[in-house]
Amino acid sequence: MVTIRKPRSTEGLVRFESVTKQYGKKFAVENLSFEIATGEVIGFLGPNGAGKTTAMRILAGYFSPTSGRVVLDGVDLFREPQKAKKHIGYLPEVVRLYPDMRVREYLRYVAELKGIKPKNMPMEIEEKISLCGLAEVEHRLIGRLSKGFRQRVGLAQALIGDPSVLILDEPTTGLDPKQISEIRALIRELGKRRAVILSTHILPEVSMICNRVIMLHQGKVLASGTVRELESCLKDREAIFVTVPGMQYQETAERILSGISDVENVRVVEHHENEIRFCLETAQARDLRPEITELFVVNKIPVLEIRRDQLTLEEIFLKLLKDGWFQQRIESGEKGKE
Amino acid sequence: MKKIFAIARKEFGSFFHSWTGVMTTVMFFTVTGIFFVILSLNFAQISMDPRIAGLSSFPNISQTHYVFGSLFLNLNVILLFLVPLITMRSFAEERKHETLELLFTYPLTDLEIVAGKLLGLIWFFEMLLVPLAGYALVFYRVGGELDWGPVLSAFLGFWALGVAYLSVGVFVSTLTKSSVMSAVGTFGILVIFWMMDFAPTMGGGGMSVFVNAMSPLRHFRNFTYGILDLRDLVYFAFFFFYFLFLSLRSIETRNWKES
Repeated sequence: MVTIRKPRSTEGLVRFESVTKQYGKKFAVENLSFEIATGEVIGFLGPNGAGKTTAMRILAGYFSPTSGRVVLDGVDLFREPQKAKKHIGYLPEVVRLYPDMRVREYLRYVAELKGIKPKNMPMEIEEKISLCGLAEVEHRLIGRLSKGFRQRVGLAQALIGDPSVLILDEPTTGLDPKQISEIRALIRELGKRRAVILSTHILPEVSMICNRVIMLHQGKVLASGTVRELESCLKDREAIFVTVPGMQYQETAERILSGISDVENVRVVEHHENEIRFCLETAQARDLRPEITELFVVNKIPVLEIRRDQLTLEEIFLKLLKDGWFQQRIESGEKGKE
Repeated sequence: MKKIFAIARKEFGSFFHSWTGVMTTVMFFTVTGIFFVILSLNFAQISMDPRIAGLSSFPNISQTHYVFGSLFLNLNVILLFLVPLITMRSFAEERKHETLELLFTYPLTDLEIVAGKLLGLIWFFEMLLVPLAGYALVFYRVGGELDWGPVLSAFLGFWALGVAYLSVGVFVSTLTKSSVMSAVGTFGILVIFWMMDFAPTMGGGGMSVFVNAMSPLRHFRNFTYGILDLRDLVYFAFFFFYFLFLSLRSIETRNWKES
């Protein structure tokens, strides 16, 4: 049999080949395989502890997997780490920088460590400072910067050396809305000529930035598909939040809410002084608010607030997990392959 | 090599971003200065009146050996306190601030990281040695009989001892997230090495031979007499590289240990 090696351009820029990371008997990541091409922005989704950060750290070269291979632009990340790591820019989940260094000084240090040639150094640093909007703080101590600026310094250090793969672990957490939209625009822009992998908790963010989604659960890939595919199956679910005053109503309210048809997963999400907030999941087709208010009035339970909202990503995720939605998709996917 | 220097420069510079570096420098200058003055005055006193030192006559004691030999032997006790102060932050601080994570994702080998850090600390230590050279010059200027050979070899020995101790400190620093723990641990290990000097040499049993061969001070003392022995140099080189190797193994544990 003659094997013809595919030309490099059609291969994924990043290739995970059955990557496993094991701590004792616990699998942080199990048999993870996927490919990412240039120009793709991939969203890593999954509840906490799903293995997102572990997978990203492996890709960033922070630690090696227990078994499996990561190939970056044809270079094995753990055979030739020096060569492969040049293609990587990594923004960790919590951006940790030297608090006693100044912004420009720090970026210069990073550029030296990444092996930028001295003659390109000033241009490289200048470019990243203006790209990330750091001009006004370049001479300040990093420890004194606001969280938004620190995040931008983190992004700037990831971008130094123009890596072809960007790994961003929850790039928008802790930023204010204006900064979030700026960073998102920047990521979209960067994603045009690179492969970007980001993890997030915010569902709308995924549809805004990513063109493909990889869902992880307990260290395994549960599903991978385009954002549209994902959305189509999530759209019909929503959450209703009901707030009642006083502990004495908790039991009755819970019983009433659980009794309504089509309602699932009733639980207390907030205990604040004397207010209790319930969350329940329902299909979107019918607005349940009038029914709930009526039932509460009949039972003489005061309602402080009732509100419809989108389910958070984790709730949807867990819901899908319970429904065996992934199982069906994986099976149908396997059938499709055969 | 450029990357090692970049890390070393940053490590050296960070001593002056906080008061630790300045405090360490000032304390070291003060203590060594006091030692030098006391030893010089003592020598002057003994030479004038040997009886106060319990000597019936003033034998031919070398000025250089009395002042500088004793100075360097006393300094090795100071080194027990100095080294933990210099090395305690090197890795512990980066682990605490979690800045090591990013360092490991840059195109750097573990060796470059550890070597860079050690080099920066060595530069700081060497900076502290400069005033000691100043004392030698002062001694020479005021008319002391300065025998350059033993003084230079004592310098070399003290440098080798310090560099070897720094390697221990960096290793301990890789083990913990707390600078205090790192300093205490380093101090403990160095004190044990220091105490080996007190082990009896007589008897000649295997244990005694071993402990004596392991004692850094036994090897250091030769330098203060002006004896340059290849075995002593090899000993310190081995000491240094052994702990460097342990540091490398220690930071490698991130690959299999859950942080």
